[in-house]
Amino acid sequence: MNHKLEIRNLSKTFSTEEGEMMALENISLEVKPAEFLCIIGPSGCGKTTLLRMVAGLDHPSSGEIILDGKEVKGPSPDRGMVFQEFSLFPWRTVLKNVEFGLEIKKVGNKARREIAERYIELVGLRGFENCYPYELSGGMKQRVAIARALATEPSILLMDEPFGSVDAQTRNILQEELLRIWKRTKKTILFVTHSVDEAVYLSDRVVVMSVRPGCLVKCLDVNIPRPRKRTSMEANEFREKLLMLLSLERSKACISV
Amino acid sequence: MKKSKLLQSLNGRGAIEAISLCGAIIIWEIVADFIIRNPIKLPSPYAIFLSYLKLWEIIPVDICTSLLHFGIGLGAGAAVGVVVGMLMGWFRAADRVFDPVVEILRPIPPLAWVPFAILWGGLSHYAAGFIVFIGAFFPILINTYTGFREVDKTYIDAAKVLGCKEERKLIKSVAFPFSLPYIATGIRIGMGVGWMCVVAAEMFGVSKNGLGFRLFQVFWPLHMMDKLVAYMIILGLVALLLDRLFRHFVEDRLLKWKKGMVK
Repeated sequence: MNHKLEIRNLSKTFSTEEGEMMALENISLEVKPAEFLCIIGPSGCGKTTLLRMVAGLDHPSSGEIILDGKEVKGPSPDRGMVFQEFSLFPWRTVLKNVEFGLEIKKVGNKARREIAERYIELVGLRGFENCYPYELSGGMKQRVAIARALATEPSILLMDEPFGSVDAQTRNILQEELLRIWKRTKKTILFVTHSVDEAVYLSDRVVVMSVRPGCLVKCLDVNIPRPRKRTSMEANEFREKLLMLLSLERSKACISV
Repeated sequence: MKKSKLLQSLNGRGAIEAISLCGAIIIWEIVADFIIRNPIKLPSPYAIFLSYLKLWEIIPVDICTSLLHFGIGLGAGAAVGVVVGMLMGWFRAADRVFDPVVEILRPIPPLAWVPFAILWGGLSHYAAGFIVFIGAFFPILINTYTGFREVDKTYIDAAKVLGCKEERKLIKSVAFPFSLPYIATGIRIGMGVGWMCVVAAEMFGVSKNGLGFRLFQVFWPLHMMDKLVAYMIILGLVALLLDRLFRHFVEDRLLKWKKGMVK
């Protein structure tokens, strides 16, 4: 009943030179408050498009997205987003990047600074406030991006393969950090990934998407107690299950192609 | 061993550069005094030095006059160039409206405007400034346009989800700061072209003062070649100084976030 986010019969078609292309087909999904939901699917299945529509950056062709009882019409700071590519404004320092959303909201100087510093602290970047993005590593950049997305206190955090472009070890650390932040802030998180490991380690629930036109194949509850161990039996079994589902999806793609 | 040590100690203090410069001046002096032996065809460095002493009263006046022309033209060129470039780069409709006019006017050499500059502005500072404006405007426009065109879509999306949605705010908070390095490059190129235009406009007599005017309308008819070369050197030095100042204030301060990306 009490859903944070509700997606109803969502479809998206793009018009290309070869005519209409269906990217997403009839997607319905509910997300509970404070849930960590991962969306996983083969590349090109439209998972990013789905997330962008929740963010309000793309518009659905049909269906609706309801957040906190209100229909999503366009982008708004009540949905924070962390992008796959590095999206920090290179002309702003770490502090100024985190303050950006607050500046737009016209939060006063002092309060703005306090809030920004709190979130910089939360992502573990104290002491880097006055650095420019070029001075940071990839992992640090994404930490700032998380702080920036959280600073406007969104009711949901959308993450589009945020750790896709950092190395494997940094990625593990960032995942742990994200879980810590999630626990602290109790945010609802919608997390798009192509990594089975990531989905199993992070999420309460995994949604598996099919190849284009993307639709939901399966919703799986990840009933592994936290804190999780990456190498535990349960985790491995779950990975196995997910990998099977995904390879099935991929083989369908081969047949249809 | 001794030799290389000497070289090393000279290194890094501008000593080699200074020696090179002095050497060039000495060679010039020798060639002028003993080979050419015609102060009209090649005035010697010493004669030029003496002419500076004779001209010391008038040089600052001419420099200021030329800088005034330059300032009027560059200021107007930057103001109009940045605004039009921004509109063209950001709004598709503005691009289509302005583009044909810009593309037709752009290849016309600035000096071709001299008659109209005189006709419209008389022999005033504004007439000379107008020629500088024509020269500086287009590089600033084109570079600003490119900057606004190349704004990364991710930055726009990131700004939008943070609540920055109106076009005006997106321009102010994202597109403009993103384009600043492009605008700076445009202004720097515009400064170079503008300086050439100052001198040329003054040579044509668009103004009654200034470095170019003195050089071409006074020294040249009277064949005062030592003074003429003295002014040539000033023209080069002022341009060099302007460029250095610009780099110091704009590239090292305003664009310090760019460091590491380009340097």
